[in-house]
Amino acid sequence: MSNMERRDFLKLSAMTAATAAAQAKAGVERKAIHTDDHGIRWDKAPCRFCGTGCHVKVGVKDGKVIAIAGAEDADVNKGLLCVKGYHVGGILYGKDRLTTPMLRKEGKLEPISWDEAITVVADRIYKEPKKFAFYGSGQWTIPEGYAAQKFIKGGLSNNHIDPNARLCMASAVTGFISTYGVDEPAGTYDDLDNASVVIFWGNNPAEMHPVLFSRIVDRRSRGEKVTIIDIGTRRTRSTEFADHYLEFRPQTDLAIANCIAHYLIESDCYDKEFVSKHCNFRIDVDDTTRDLFGKASSFEEYKQQMSTYTFEYTSQLSGVPEEQLKVLAEAFADPESRITSLWCMGVNQHYRGTAMNRLLHGIHLLSGHFGKPGDAPTSLTGQPSACGTAREVGTLAHALPGGRIVKKPAHREACEKAWNMAPGTINPKPGYHTVKMFEQFCKPTAEGGDISTVLVQVTNPGQTLPNLYKLFEAKKDLEDKFLIVSEVYPTATTELADLVLPAALWVEKGGVYGNSERRTQQWFKQVNPPGGAREDLWMTIAIARKLFDMGYPGMKDQDGKFIFSYNDEQGNEVPIWDYDHFHDINVDRELYEEYRPLTHGKRKNVAPYDVLVNAHGLRWPVVQTKDGNWRETRFRFTEADDPFVKKGTGIQFYNSTTKDDKAQIWFCPYEAAPEEPNKEYPFWLCTGRVLEHWHSGTMTMRVDQLRKAMPKAYVELNPKDAAEKGINNGDLVQLTTARGDLVLPAWINGRARPPRGSVFVPFFDEKLLINRLTLDAYCPVSKEPDYKKCATKVEKYDPIEKKPLP
Amino acid sequence: MEDRSQPISRRGLFEALVRPFARHAGGDDGAGLAQGNPSRPADDGTPKVAIIQGRFCLAYQGGVCFTCSERCPVPDALTTEKGIPTVHADICTGCGICHDLCPAPRNAILMLAPPETPALARS
Ligand code: SF4
Ligand code: SF4
Ligand code: SF4
Repeated sequence: MSNMERRDFLKLSAMTAATAAAQAKAGVERKAIHTDDHGIRWDKAPCRFCGTGCHVKVGVKDGKVIAIAGAEDADVNKGLLCVKGYHVGGILYGKDRLTTPMLRKEGKLEPISWDEAITVVADRIYKEPKKFAFYGSGQWTIPEGYAAQKFIKGGLSNNHIDPNARLCMASAVTGFISTYGVDEPAGTYDDLDNASVVIFWGNNPAEMHPVLFSRIVDRRSRGEKVTIIDIGTRRTRSTEFADHYLEFRPQTDLAIANCIAHYLIESDCYDKEFVSKHCNFRIDVDDTTRDLFGKASSFEEYKQQMSTYTFEYTSQLSGVPEEQLKVLAEAFADPESRITSLWCMGVNQHYRGTAMNRLLHGIHLLSGHFGKPGDAPTSLTGQPSACGTAREVGTLAHALPGGRIVKKPAHREACEKAWNMAPGTINPKPGYHTVKMFEQFCKPTAEGGDISTVLVQVTNPGQTLPNLYKLFEAKKDLEDKFLIVSEVYPTATTELADLVLPAALWVEKGGVYGNSERRTQQWFKQVNPPGGAREDLWMTIAIARKLFDMGYPGMKDQDGKFIFSYNDEQGNEVPIWDYDHFHDINVDRELYEEYRPLTHGKRKNVAPYDVLVNAHGLRWPVVQTKDGNWRETRFRFTEADDPFVKKGTGIQFYNSTTKDDKAQIWFCPYEAAPEEPNKEYPFWLCTGRVLEHWHSGTMTMRVDQLRKAMPKAYVELNPKDAAEKGINNGDLVQLTTARGDLVLPAWINGRARPPRGSVFVPFFDEKLLINRLTLDAYCPVSKEPDYKKCATKVEKYDPIEKKPLP
Repeated sequence: MEDRSQPISRRGLFEALVRPFARHAGGDDGAGLAQGNPSRPADDGTPKVAIIQGRFCLAYQGGVCFTCSERCPVPDALTTEKGIPTVHADICTGCGICHDLCPAPRNAILMLAPPETPALARS
């Protein structure tokens, strides 16, 4: 596509986007809501599960969600849902919903009142505010995350807050920031409709982002040609649809990316104009330092460093045949191809996750496959609001809202001003990231374990942290450590909780989510939570208020007002901490609108709440045009579509870390995995999700159809390995790593096929906790653990003797 | 083919897989919602064969689903081509497992008398 064509295309896209926004604008009358002939009231909501962010229509009758349908007018999914999405209503009605707060007394959880529960929490925090940690989630709504952030970083001057997104998106964040100076993808899902080549880097969208996968494959049924290249460590359901499958030895994806760069330079077919106009080169400070910004490098140094990664060397290291590497490299070398790279946990949950993210951006920039429709390095998020709540609101231990960080005085100041808090309120030292937080919590106080209370909301660390014995279960014997868990069902986490708070779920509360493609999505509360279950947002505000009443100084702003003080239309303060008044005003809207200006600093301008009310989400930056409409952005940093790009620049990386509007192309070397198969533990162990279940299965295992379709965890084995060990389908197999062991049924030629010498186990099953075996080594820059590779022993298990067979 | 290098007992696997969990054991958690799965037709003892109704099947509708093909215990009775499932009536034993497990919002699998050999002729 010529430059001219590109501009036309983007202009056209922008026009359709603007029209959609215009329709969305017309006031706050709720357009999505209507009652049908059967007396079912229909309203909109984003799906509760994955980062795809499909939109559903929710049918309510007699106070109960009784029907779910895909929203046909939603751009993301155009009426389609995956099997989880169709059953999302069922998650509300499991028989064992938690409906009353419970405090552990003499080892047993006993019901207590909400007032007592909030007092217990406030007392713990009041006594040791610096030893308190808040563990949240990429499934938090934006207002929930924002309130938690303001409460702990502002109210308590304590930065020990981290979301489970640390375990899932942190490497993508560091990759984006060190490349573009700002987080989140430049492109959107629209690129999937235009790409001629789609590459899955360690990605299995058929199971993890099924609706996006359908969107790609559907193009083929319309007669369009789209080449799918799957690069992975096991054959998956996505591989069945791939034109090329490159199977690499775990960790060597780093070398494969470098091999492409090497080829582009050697054959002189990198995009010289793009590189000289828009890119700098960057490298780690030295051979051992791995930090976020590294140091400036040059094309010559880059070329020299890349010279190692010949086809021959890379093929030997990775096990991928040279011809296949050439196919991949040729795709990047072809200026006519439109390449969208997709990646998710395979690249992020990686001991060198930041490096791998940088390298993927790097080959797109080097080859000029960036900024044209279909040419995009697009990282997918796992969770429905990992982007919205964890990344944009910045609920990470080092971050502040809108892409700010606690280390920068100006960033702290901006937040202190927005919150009307005294200068110096926010602590400049980053708090504990997830692994460190739970390490300190599970370490005895006498040995320096300086986290004494953890409040967990909307996530299940007792099942999802790596190396569970060390990072979670060790808490059991520590009398003075106190675990508070807000949950909807009993989980592995509530099992060890000292206080359980029953929570409202999905449309039992209102919310705002932000999906993988920068789309901010709003919904209203549609049914009541069961029994005494209440909103996480209310819990945070009620705890803050209790501390305010106890005289905790941080809970007052500079004018002596409560930090969550909001007024009704008459200007009177509404006591939202009192649950009877929590719904008197739309607290979501108050918090979101307070947060929204904070997104402007780095040009992440999210849409106004009232505009979102009648939209199926809008992709930031969203700006108001002269005619009063709100316009979303499909491709950031390109003049034709991004309102913040200076006219005449073509492409402008306006958040550049080098302040010259350029992106950074990094060199990062291949470095070995932290634990590789050895004599005692000769297999690779990989873990992950399955189509039918969301994360730890807390919600989806309560849905009859989903549980029946995928009832229990298993270990996937290569048929040859199985034959060698005399293992048949359904036989029990014991896996043993340096951290723990687990017995599971074998599945050979099942859903996917691991290569010889490797096994795969899904993590959804709370009865079979594979994370007791996984490794807690993490990427030194992002602090995200590597769940995708560690070394394990594989033995056939004798169920009668209850031990591995010789 | 390398994948068939050893005998496969699918039935063995799924007997192990479907053993219920203590906590989650038991029937409908309300997940059926308005369009719950029609209950399985009474087993009247006549031979049956599985029929996939494309309009309810997630895979036919452009979605992703592999439950029936993964869980059918009879080799080659239910195969997929580009993700779309097909029952081979001559091999299907009519065991009904695919019907019981189909997770589509409206169960997409009917258990009917085999078309080519009416129940009458068999009895
Ligand atoms: S789980 Fe993901 S792909 Fe499936 S319906 Fe929900 S958002 Fe869409
Ligand atoms: S299990 Fe049901 S929905 Fe899934 S592919 Fe088979 S028939 Fe279709
Ligand atoms: S009825 Fe039984 S044999 Fe026939 S397709 Fe279904 S699962 Fe297979």
